[in-house]
Amino acid sequence: MASSCSQALRHHVCKSSRLLRVHLQKSWTNRSFEGAVCVSSSFALNSAADQQPAVSSPEEIVIPKKKTWSKEAVLQALASTVKRDPTASDYRFQDDPYLTPKTSSEFKLFSLSQESGRNAAKYFINTYPKYFQKDYAQPHIPCLMPDTLEAQIEEVSEAALIERIGMRKVKAAVDLYDQLLQAGTSVSLDVTNQLLDLICFYGDHDPAQENVPEQRNEETEDVQDEPQAKKGRAAKASDLLKATWKEKNNAERIFALLSEPNTHSYSALIRGMVKYGAYSKAFSTYTDLLNSRLKADVHTFNALITAAPEVKEKYNEKWELIVDLLKQMAEQKVKPNLLTLNAVLKALRRCGTVGKSQAFPVISEMKALSIDLSLASYSHLLAIFYKPGAPIQGQTDILQEVMNEVSGKSFTPQDPDDAQFFITAMRICLDTKDMEQAYRVHELLGVGENWRLLGNDFQQNIYYARFFSLLCMMENIDVMLKWYRDLVPSVYYPSSNVMRDLLQALDTDNRLDLIPQIWKDIKQLGHANRQNLVEELLTLMAREKHNQEVQESFAECALDIKKIYDTGDRGKVLLNWTAGSLSDLISVLLAAHRRQDAWDMLKLFKTHNRVPSEELLNKFLMCVKEDGDVNQAVELVQISAGFCLPGTPKLIQRVQQEFELTEQQRKMLSDLEIQSFNSE
Amino acid sequence: MAASVTRPALSSLCKINSNINGIYSLTSFSRRISISSVLSTSAVTTETEAAGRGVRGQRRSKRQAGEPRTERMTVDQDWTAVYPTAASFKPSAVPLPVRMGYPVKRGVPPAKKGNLELIKIPNFLHLTPVAIKKHCEALKQFCTEWPSALDSDEKCVKHFPIQVQSKEFVSAGLSLRNPDVRIVTLKVKLSSLNLDDHARKKMIKLSEERYCKDTDTLTITTDSCPLRQQNYDYAMYLLTVLYHESWKTEAWEQEKTRADMEEYEWEDSPSQKKVLDTLLRMRALGAKDEVEEGTREELLGQPAVQEYRDTMLRLKNEGETEENLQQYKEAVKKLFNI
Repeated sequence: MASSCSQALRHHVCKSSRLLRVHLQKSWTNRSFEGAVCVSSSFALNSAADQQPAVSSPEEIVIPKKKTWSKEAVLQALASTVKRDPTASDYRFQDDPYLTPKTSSEFKLFSLSQESGRNAAKYFINTYPKYFQKDYAQPHIPCLMPDTLEAQIEEVSEAALIERIGMRKVKAAVDLYDQLLQAGTSVSLDVTNQLLDLICFYGDHDPAQENVPEQRNEETEDVQDEPQAKKGRAAKASDLLKATWKEKNNAERIFALLSEPNTHSYSALIRGMVKYGAYSKAFSTYTDLLNSRLKADVHTFNALITAAPEVKEKYNEKWELIVDLLKQMAEQKVKPNLLTLNAVLKALRRCGTVGKSQAFPVISEMKALSIDLSLASYSHLLAIFYKPGAPIQGQTDILQEVMNEVSGKSFTPQDPDDAQFFITAMRICLDTKDMEQAYRVHELLGVGENWRLLGNDFQQNIYYARFFSLLCMMENIDVMLKWYRDLVPSVYYPSSNVMRDLLQALDTDNRLDLIPQIWKDIKQLGHANRQNLVEELLTLMAREKHNQEVQESFAECALDIKKIYDTGDRGKVLLNWTAGSLSDLISVLLAAHRRQDAWDMLKLFKTHNRVPSEELLNKFLMCVKEDGDVNQAVELVQISAGFCLPGTPKLIQRVQQEFELTEQQRKMLSDLEIQSFNSE
Repeated sequence: MAASVTRPALSSLCKINSNINGIYSLTSFSRRISISSVLSTSAVTTETEAAGRGVRGQRRSKRQAGEPRTERMTVDQDWTAVYPTAASFKPSAVPLPVRMGYPVKRGVPPAKKGNLELIKIPNFLHLTPVAIKKHCEALKQFCTEWPSALDSDEKCVKHFPIQVQSKEFVSAGLSLRNPDVRIVTLKVKLSSLNLDDHARKKMIKLSEERYCKDTDTLTITTDSCPLRQQNYDYAMYLLTVLYHESWKTEAWEQEKTRADMEEYEWEDSPSQKKVLDTLLRMRALGAKDEVEEGTREELLGQPAVQEYRDTMLRLKNEGETEENLQQYKEAVKKLFNI
């Protein structure tokens, strides 16, 4: 039916053309999405191998072959056109001025509350799965369906054991294993190995279940030394951190029960021991392995290399042990992988000068074995050569070489320590005051998928704090401000120290007119209650005389700052006045000719028990003189006398000379003069 | 902290926004919801006492909204980064002083802040010309070259007379599927098909309203099958069947009456009979000749009658226009020698 129609078409169409490939399936506006394998970040676009160029002789119409691509290819292509928006906050938050976090603590609070909401929802779905069975999503999204948290298979069998291992229930699995052995059924070596893996990975504790409220009953008996005030979750976390390899634990017991442990079992045991701190035991288990003439696998060796610096004291001995292990690895024909290299480098960090001499040979050997370095390796390398706090001795080349190697490449996470690279590199740039390398490091962050390797929010904060401090120190103010506007507050919430650095940079470059804007940002970031920051701000404003506009803006800023000093609405005092800060504020107001405000401020000296300086009163008198307010001048003198300032007589003289006084005032002044004369 | 957050209290403006954005859960967690008038600016902190909290005498300061990010936007920013996808109107992210809505008495249309009218309507802020240019550049890699031999529309129609259209849909929702994706529309010009007169007429009759006379296009829309491929096959099948059926002549087609005809034919029509009649009568008045078959053709062959025939055909087939009626009038006058 379709073919006969196509025949008709072909008759109509190919009058004079010889070769016509009219794809019946092909229509102009149709596109079919064929599911091809999609590589995670880039899509697969297969253009036809024999795609003919569309240039053809006048009569011949050549239809090019259709391209195919993966399902997400179009969306990924469109997504690649979108760049970062410098004014928007993190994508997690609602884009509303009320609902975006303005300070770093708000950021943390909001993101944690989002996560906790998600966890609460997950908890409900998993606790009452029968209400959440209906599947609305097309196509099916498995991660949104309720998880089964309870083991299904109840009878004592190997399948049940495998199920519990899959659900990561350590205690239940161990109990079931014991039951199986008591019942007499033998468990296969594979399953036992899996069980050993599970126990050694979790260190014989059950992994913390996030969605289930912690059961306090059994656990608290084990952790009696923990203070009762700690909530269950915190106790579990610190438990895991301090978790040590207990003496008679299940892993060793089960291992002992094995008749013929193989490489996998030894490997699991050794790795568990190293993870939980039983280093010497790990080495003795390794000797057992050698004695039973088995070969170790690469994971075992990685674990042992990690443990090597712990068992020996001197640098040389550590290095010899590592070399020994590597030699054995070669003997047993076990091929080292990237993690081996990283373990060696990490161990070399603790080997002092030996580390510096041996690092490069190790790297070149590994490269000969075609192991590509990951960011973790570079991070360890940098840490070997640049110890924090040590004086730099002409080793700036290493950072440059590393950056040369690394620039322009996109890395994937291969080692947990990859996340350390960026903050280590930035620390080194800060220590060596190297701006160019810092820019290169920051550029690397923008390449491909590298942004994933910046680490969690805390590490991100450290990175940006270091970057900013470096910028404040080294660059001029325009570049600094450009970066500031780009990164704050969408990516980074600066701490008050960084803001102080920024103020100093402004001072150095003589751009003090930007202070009111910075003050607005400081207020928004929540640093307005830091005494030294605010005082420094006031000092900078009061130091020099600027032109009229700038003074006006300073005066506004000063009045704003004054509001912070006043008692807050909760009756809580956030900041205390000092003599210096009061004087600075008054000078700023005077410079902008806000006499009335300044006068009100002067009264505050008395209320807060501070003493004004002579200089301030002189300045005030000059200002009063410009306006010619005699009464205020006299009051000024009275205030000065009230504080028993040594400069009072001079002040009185000045007033007497420069102002037109009435009789009463003259008398008052002479009284004061005598008084002050007598008191001296 | 000076501007510390204790319990966020939401004004009704933000409540609207938050409802739209679907974070109603956050509002329900906070026990204080203070309603302020829609027209007030939220930059001013109002010390409102919460219901039931005034008893303790402790006042918690209301959380202030930050400045909208339009303040920080530069003039030459990348707008495609601000609105990369279709999103509702966000007054804090769009730096335009838009007003919309019915003006208050003696006033102006309300401003953009908290304006529900602006949020309700669809906006195309994500499809600025710059954005479309960028998208096209990115999508070029999925396209193949256009055949160089097809450089004009006529050639395209000549070589590929059948046009098939279908739609794709992309939306984020519960389901990625859209049932309208299965609809296939097939368009072909009948002039490009090999049809004779009878076949053409039969085809038009068979396709009824799917044929458009003005553009001479047959449009077949199929949506009865669940999959697009099936609908496409069905549409091609329908075209084939129509074509072949219209070439066949059934036995009962001989019974086609005058009422079934598509266009007016003058032969054997009442009009022809009447004209003949009238002319014969005119003749008969003049001379008493016998009426023969031969005179019929002779009469019909006369130019006046031919002209009358033409005008009659024109009137009936094309409709009544001034011109046609004029010509009819002339023809009648000539026929009757008026």
